[in-house]
Amino acid sequence: MKQFLTKVIIISLPILFGAIFMEFLLRNTPNDYLFKKQYLDKNSSEIETLILGSSHSFYGFNPEYFSSNTFNASHISQSLNYDFEILKKYQDQFKNLKTIILPISYFTLFGKLEAGSESWRVKNYIIYYGLNSSKSLIDYSEVLSNRINVNIKRIASYYVLGNSTISCTDLGWGTSYNSKNARDLAETGKTASKRHTREDINSDKYQLIFQENIFILESIIQWSNKNNVKILLFTPPAFKTYRQNLNQEQLKITINTSSDICSKYDNCIYDNLLSDTNFVATDFYDADHLSEIGAKKLSVLINERINKWK
Amino acid sequence: MLFNSIDFAIFLPIVFLLYWFVTNKNLKLQNLLIVVASYVFYGWWDWRFLSLIVFSTVVDYTVGRKLRNEEKQLKRKILLWTSILVNLGFLGFFKYYNFFLDNFITAFSFFGQEIQGNSLNIILPVGISFYTFQTLSYTIDVYKRKLEPTKDFIAFSAFVSFFPQLVAGPIERATNLLPQFYNKRTFDYSKAVDGMRQILWGLFKKIVIADNCAEFANQIFNNSADMNGSTLVLGALFFTFQIYGDFSGYSDIAIGTSRLFGFDLMRNFNFPYFSRDIAEFWRRWHISLSTWFRDYLYIPLGGSRGGTLMKVRNTFIIFIVSGFWHGPNWTFIVWGALNAIYFLPLLLTNNNRNNLETVAQGKLLPSIKELSFMILTFGLTVFAWIFFRAENIGHAISYISEILSLSLFSIPKFAGMSRALTTIILVAIFVLVEWKGREGQYAISHFGIKWKRPIRYAMYYAIIIAIFWFGGKEQQFIYFQF
Repeated sequence: MKQFLTKVIIISLPILFGAIFMEFLLRNTPNDYLFKKQYLDKNSSEIETLILGSSHSFYGFNPEYFSSNTFNASHISQSLNYDFEILKKYQDQFKNLKTIILPISYFTLFGKLEAGSESWRVKNYIIYYGLNSSKSLIDYSEVLSNRINVNIKRIASYYVLGNSTISCTDLGWGTSYNSKNARDLAETGKTASKRHTREDINSDKYQLIFQENIFILESIIQWSNKNNVKILLFTPPAFKTYRQNLNQEQLKITINTSSDICSKYDNCIYDNLLSDTNFVATDFYDADHLSEIGAKKLSVLINERINKWK
Repeated sequence: MLFNSIDFAIFLPIVFLLYWFVTNKNLKLQNLLIVVASYVFYGWWDWRFLSLIVFSTVVDYTVGRKLRNEEKQLKRKILLWTSILVNLGFLGFFKYYNFFLDNFITAFSFFGQEIQGNSLNIILPVGISFYTFQTLSYTIDVYKRKLEPTKDFIAFSAFVSFFPQLVAGPIERATNLLPQFYNKRTFDYSKAVDGMRQILWGLFKKIVIADNCAEFANQIFNNSADMNGSTLVLGALFFTFQIYGDFSGYSDIAIGTSRLFGFDLMRNFNFPYFSRDIAEFWRRWHISLSTWFRDYLYIPLGGSRGGTLMKVRNTFIIFIVSGFWHGPNWTFIVWGALNAIYFLPLLLTNNNRNNLETVAQGKLLPSIKELSFMILTFGLTVFAWIFFRAENIGHAISYISEILSLSLFSIPKFAGMSRALTTIILVAIFVLVEWKGREGQYAISHFGIKWKRPIRYAMYYAIIIAIFWFGGKEQQFIYFQF
């Protein structure tokens, strides 16, 4: 037995030490989550307009074009439950908060970060935001959340090549989707719409997610109402190749539900910009994300909408 | 709890240390620890369904005790059928209720009769098909007086719920596993090391081979309407290796884990894709289920004795029931029937036991003839897997129709082709290692055993690195759904 345990320990130790060292390096690699968390820790009391949501917000809103003090706290694939968690975490510090901007995309009400292919991002909220929202031990570790090759690439990129690992501006706007590198709108329209369409929205699984999301959305609006904060819900603009391939039932439920919920509260307005004619092909990075050109347009448009609302 | 999870990586050492250092002096305590650990292992998934396991355990233990003292044949039969009905009743309700209901409604509507029926929102308890069959083997063997009924309730509970094989087999026979709970286990160094090696290989099969193949198999099967014939062939091949890596990987981890605790489980896979005919394939694939059906269904039905019609009937029954065991879907039934069709010519011409030895035993390469038969058998198996994987019969037929079209000769095309190439290379290496180790219990059981320690350790590290390199988030095992 002694011999067996000794061997197991000898074989395991290098792996264990390697993993701990890698975890240390990864946690000390700057990233968008830590960056935004630090910003919120320091500046949340000054924020007047808070942008939440997924990649549609992350790449779609440049706070520089807002007349109020604005911060973009969205992240790629951030679902409503994490929007609400962030809001709750800083609720006592949001002393000047006047407006929240929250996208209700085609997939928002039927999606949840934990349930999708991007679930590996859950660890970012636990490790960097300090939210304890997962039962899975994997979500508490950088090393275990991703494949080792992905982790090695991240470490090499930062520590060896000296690349920046932050992909947003100081105010949280995602800068990677540049018009110069725009993707094929026809192709991405098909693939993105397929990826965002749930196979059966009436299944128990998606009905449960839908009910949870409705509850969270109402909770966010009610929180805003209680704190005299206005909330602007909007369905982001998308290119026609994306729109044409959407499931009409899923889309209709999303739009009608958002509109119905919003109409119940005085502090809420809902704008459906999905087919907004202001946005043309050159505004898009891919069929459902805006480039820096489109982001400027959307930011200006929403800023005007907020100012008029006042 | 999944074998490929961090939870299990913490759970296993704790149980191992308690087993060998705290409870080792007392056999009853050691068995009790296994029961508690097994219930924790199962309850991690859903503790509510533990009640089913406990109920099955109590029923079969009681039936076994009563059979011991009962001499009247009629009463013995009633006891046996009580056990069968309780166990198959649970299985039937949780697994097949909605299937039968839907098919009855469809059948009646075909004849113009509209009947109402409410399908239920039933969650299938993980592993129910496995532990039901395992515990049934006990009652049947006791009824047939092949096994002395146990007086030890703890040992029996441990036999029913033994965590390494509780949720996906191997489906153990009471005659093999139960007596092992009566005897004191002593720690065997070489057995434990071998167990660790088998666990490592099982994890490799699951995480590196199965999970990577799954990504492309799912993508191709889920979007088959948009794919050309050659891509669909690739999809079927990916699924072929996915299901083998997934299920045989699970079995390897189960057997290896059992060895750490001093138990020997039956072998469940014996390099099935190197089979030279379908009969050989079925002697090598999911052995514990095939032999279960052989012993408790095929032989009682008359087996291969009797006339041709009897042989045909029995063969179809065993294969179709075996298919249906996998789940309430016509695709599994067709998969079973297809295998019966493959198997029958061999049985009727008495060629079903031609290939009992390992292919090319002691040789580096197979003969051209052997290779041809291996490729033919593999091709038939891949074809049958299409039905197994398809969502429904219509999906399978359209999948096969596209393969049989001219698009078969076009270049495969799907998202992530370059990553798929890496997976294909991994599968090729895997097949080579399996071929090299085909005479052992599992591929690396003797692989590098005579190498110097540093080289051998380097090989283990390479496997571990591959597991972390190619592994993603923990994925369910396919057979959990059966």
